[in-house]
Amino acid sequence: MRKLLIVDDEEILRMLISDTLEDLDVHIELAEDGKVALDKLQQSEYDLMILDYMMPQLTGMEVLERLPVDLKKRMPILMLTAKAQEADRMKALEAGASYFIPKPFSPLELLQVVEEILVDGGE
Amino acid sequence: MEVSRIKPTRIRTKYMRALAGAITLVLLIGVSFYFYTNEQQRKLDSELSELKLKTDTILSLSDTLYDFVFRARGYYVFQSNTDLEQLKLDLKEFDVRLQEFSSLKLTSEDRTASEDLRAFYNDYTTNLLPKAIGYAEAKDFDALRELLESGANQIVYDFMDYTSNFKENSDNRLNQVIDDSIKQSNQFTIIAILFSMVILLLLGGLFWRLLRSLITPILELEAATKSLAAGQEVPITLTNRSDELGRLNDSFIEMTHSIQIKEEELMMQNEELQAQQEELQAQQAQLQHSLTEIESIMKALDQSSAVAILNEHGVFTYTNERLTAFTQFKSSALLGKPYKIIKIRDSSLKALKELEERVAKGGVWNIEMELERQDGSAIWFDLTVVPYLNEHGEVYKYILIGNDITSNKAIQKELAESLQQTEKTMDILKNHNLLNHEITYTLNKQDLVEKFNHFINELHSFDSSLFMIVRETIYSSRGIPQEVIERYVNHSSNDMLDRLAQEKTYIVQRKASNAELGISTLSVDCYDLYTAVTDTKDNVVALFCATRIGRVYEEEEIEAIQGLMKRVSLAVERIEMVEDIEMAHKLNQDIVNNVNEGIQFVDSNGTMTNNNQALSEIIMCKEWGEGKGIPIDQWIHDISDQCSSAPELEEFFRMALSQECEESSSTQYSIGNDTKRYIDVYATPVVRRGARIGTLFVHRNITKEHELDVMKSELVSTVSHELRTPLSSVLGFTELLLSKPLKPERQKKYLETIHKEALRLTNLINDFLDLQRMESGKQSYDIETFALNRIAMEVIDQYKVGTKRNVLLIDEAKFVDVDVDKMRIVQVFTNLISNGIKFSHEDGDVKVRMYNVQDKIVVRIEDKGLGIAKEQIDILFQKFRRVDNSTSRKVGGTGLGLAICKEIIEKHHGRIGIESVEGEGTSAWFELPLRSPKNAPEDDIGVLIDGDNENIQNVMIVEDDSSLSLLLSEELKAKGFRVTHHYNAQKAFEEALTVRFVGIVVDIMLGDELDGWDLIRMLKNDVRTEKVPIVISSALDKSDENLQEFSINKYLTKPYPPGELSKVFIEIINITEPSGDILFPDNIEDEG
Repeated sequence: MRKLLIVDDEEILRMLISDTLEDLDVHIELAEDGKVALDKLQQSEYDLMILDYMMPQLTGMEVLERLPVDLKKRMPILMLTAKAQEADRMKALEAGASYFIPKPFSPLELLQVVEEILVDGGE
Repeated sequence: MEVSRIKPTRIRTKYMRALAGAITLVLLIGVSFYFYTNEQQRKLDSELSELKLKTDTILSLSDTLYDFVFRARGYYVFQSNTDLEQLKLDLKEFDVRLQEFSSLKLTSEDRTASEDLRAFYNDYTTNLLPKAIGYAEAKDFDALRELLESGANQIVYDFMDYTSNFKENSDNRLNQVIDDSIKQSNQFTIIAILFSMVILLLLGGLFWRLLRSLITPILELEAATKSLAAGQEVPITLTNRSDELGRLNDSFIEMTHSIQIKEEELMMQNEELQAQQEELQAQQAQLQHSLTEIESIMKALDQSSAVAILNEHGVFTYTNERLTAFTQFKSSALLGKPYKIIKIRDSSLKALKELEERVAKGGVWNIEMELERQDGSAIWFDLTVVPYLNEHGEVYKYILIGNDITSNKAIQKELAESLQQTEKTMDILKNHNLLNHEITYTLNKQDLVEKFNHFINELHSFDSSLFMIVRETIYSSRGIPQEVIERYVNHSSNDMLDRLAQEKTYIVQRKASNAELGISTLSVDCYDLYTAVTDTKDNVVALFCATRIGRVYEEEEIEAIQGLMKRVSLAVERIEMVEDIEMAHKLNQDIVNNVNEGIQFVDSNGTMTNNNQALSEIIMCKEWGEGKGIPIDQWIHDISDQCSSAPELEEFFRMALSQECEESSSTQYSIGNDTKRYIDVYATPVVRRGARIGTLFVHRNITKEHELDVMKSELVSTVSHELRTPLSSVLGFTELLLSKPLKPERQKKYLETIHKEALRLTNLINDFLDLQRMESGKQSYDIETFALNRIAMEVIDQYKVGTKRNVLLIDEAKFVDVDVDKMRIVQVFTNLISNGIKFSHEDGDVKVRMYNVQDKIVVRIEDKGLGIAKEQIDILFQKFRRVDNSTSRKVGGTGLGLAICKEIIEKHHGRIGIESVEGEGTSAWFELPLRSPKNAPEDDIGVLIDGDNENIQNVMIVEDDSSLSLLLSEELKAKGFRVTHHYNAQKAFEEALTVRFVGIVVDIMLGDELDGWDLIRMLKNDVRTEKVPIVISSALDKSDENLQEFSINKYLTKPYPPGELSKVFIEIINITEPSGDILFPDNIEDEG
């Protein structure tokens, strides 16, 4: 059973994402901010993390920066964000994100991407 | 040579000691030797004597023994008594001898022999002899013979042997002893000889050493002395000997050293002397030469000058022809006469005196003197006197050399006169120059006039003077009374000025006034000089007046003064020009300084020559003062030092300054470390008459605009973000709904979410637009007069239904009328109250308090909720700022609410704020100005005091109908009560428990589960509240069973004006002993 971690400060979006992915054979965990996410990441392994960029206190970028490098290598990270400029994408990718989906996003698209990631088995 | 000092006579002592030692030794040895030999000799002697004695004794013993034995035998034979007697005597003697023998030193042999002998004797005497005698007498010769042969005589024979042995031995021994003795003495002799030889050797050795130690250095010394005498190198060195010879050696060395040194000195001196001698010879030659020269000079001198020689008494001993020629004194007249014979003119007496003094001391002196010739005429004489001193320093001769300088003198006088003249002229010029100098450096007109007046007085001396610059009436005066000056100052002197303008200079002659006469008794004429300087238009620029009492003005003087005046006027013009320039400059500077932008002017070298105040504020550089030229590198450095983009900025500056750059250019930079300022700098070249003289830089502070830009872009990004989120969810959920079949509950949930989010979006946009409109000032407010409490109640009404929360109004504001846009104020109330509800606990109350403060009305909306951290309070009113708290995330909202409230309140000339203590609660307040504060209520202090007055009495109105409760509350507030509006019985009761109410108005018809009766019941049942008077505000149905439960007094009849109710109420309240009356208004029809 794959484990997914969804990190977004908006409850509605968390619901949306988890509902979108519910048909997949995965176990979903939610985190409402960066700190909670980091705690959860320390406690267990996830096969994918969906990470929002704009969050209070700890932004998505900061979360990325605080992750250990090897963790980033083996866990694919999908960034969701309203910031969709080229530069922001580059920054995120450099920081360790593997995928990038701008908001507003199409849930179906998200689903597709997640499926692909999981099929690949994380690169 | 210290060692020698310690033991100065070392040699002697050494040898003395040695000698003493030797002698002692010898003595010692000799004495001991002597004793030893003595001892030995003694020993030998004693031995010898002993031996002799022994021998003698033994011999005598043996003799005796023989004697008596033979005597005995004889007796035996002859039996003579005499023999017997003699025998006894012999025996006795033998005994004695034996004793003697035994008392000697005996060897063991001897002793044995002695003992045997004694034994024998004893035996013989006691035994044998008697027996023998007996036998003999008995004529028993056989027995006698037996006896004698029995061995008794053996002893005798033994002893005989022994004796002869002994004798032999003894003889031998004696011989031996003698031999020994001889040997010994031989030995001793040898030893003595050896010893003496050793001694002699020692002594010899010592002596040798002595000699050596003495001789060697002596030899050395001798050798050294010889070589010293021969003048060669002295081969001697310092020794370590510390004794006399050592010292001698050392002294010798010293001596040689000193001799050598002296020799060297002598040689040097010798050389010197030789050199001197050579010099002397040279000098002598020179002297000779000089002498010849002198002789020739003398000859020449003699021919040209007057020469005289005086002796020590000043008497002429020689004069020459020239002297005669000059002085007309023949030499015969002079010789033998003292010098005083030639008379000196009075003018030169002093010089003469000096001459005499000097010369007496031995100095050469030269003077010029006026002498009288023999015929009485005067000549000037240049005289040189040379005294000759002898070896004692006394003068013994004077040489006089003199020349006639009369004509010279005359010429000199002429020259002096013309020099004086020239000097005078020079003086005048100098004065002019001085004046020029003085006034050239004056930029101050007052200074100028003072200086001039002073100067001219110095130069020409007046008794009184006045110098005035007419246009500005700046003047300097001396000796002139004030009222006189006033004449000129007050321009009543225009006539005078006219005359001055025309004539330029004139002199008035008049009689002196009394003041001017002073102490003089005669009358005197005064001369007033008036002179003026005019400009090109013939206006008088400056005037000078001076008075001389009794002295006329010379032409020259007047001209001189006029010249000076001209100079001064030029100076004055110059000053004025400078002043004008300065004014213009200052004006420029002021303009430049008052401009908001920073301006700097950089010349063609790149040096910054001008900068204004604004620039210093921007650049904040202390070293830049006004009027200082700052080199290019420094100012560029000063600016770019504080900038983030220093290289680009520097590039910009240099480009702008370069010659090629002919057009304006601009760039932007940020400066400052603590507070960043954004500056736009604009550069333009400055050209004058076709040539570039520099570059002008204008720095404009665009920080505000920059900030605005930043804020705007921040806002845009925030807004877009805020919008995107609900949009994402709307799109997302919609897509989900469309994508696959879902359960109806799920569908419903999604649709609800979509709806909610869409609403949120709408609200967000509305709010935002509202805010924008309000901020840009385009929002129009519909202002009308309203009672604020009414508005509050309307809003609170909405919360009566549906919410579990209780919102109550606690009102004590007497004055509630405000001029507001009702909708907007409603918006504010709604926003703040809903915030209160959002952020407080589930069943927490929100209290709305209203009270007056001076001419305002203050509304506080309090909740006992989460509270807000201090740091976050400040940012609350900013757009989109929400309290950043994870729990509060759930409460939603647009984040714009407070910003809008702030905008509204401020546009209503009010203030708004939030106070909060984290964890305890929040209080949002705003205040609005009252509508034209009417008759400032002095009689009602309650209004002026801050709302939270402890002494205000609380009244509670529990009323469903807000208009009624408002009416009531108006009345009550007017009387100074604080009115709390409740609509929920439970909450009302709870409040009654905590807050002391002096009276409660209850409406029976409350829309809730509990009605008024329940409340009354609760109140009466609780001991804390049972005494509180209650007034029922609604009509009662008589059939109401509750009427029985309580004793209720009817007090009012309906319909009643609300004023009545309140009056009654107040009366009740003011009863000192509240008895908890319940009153109600009864219907009229009941009034029977």
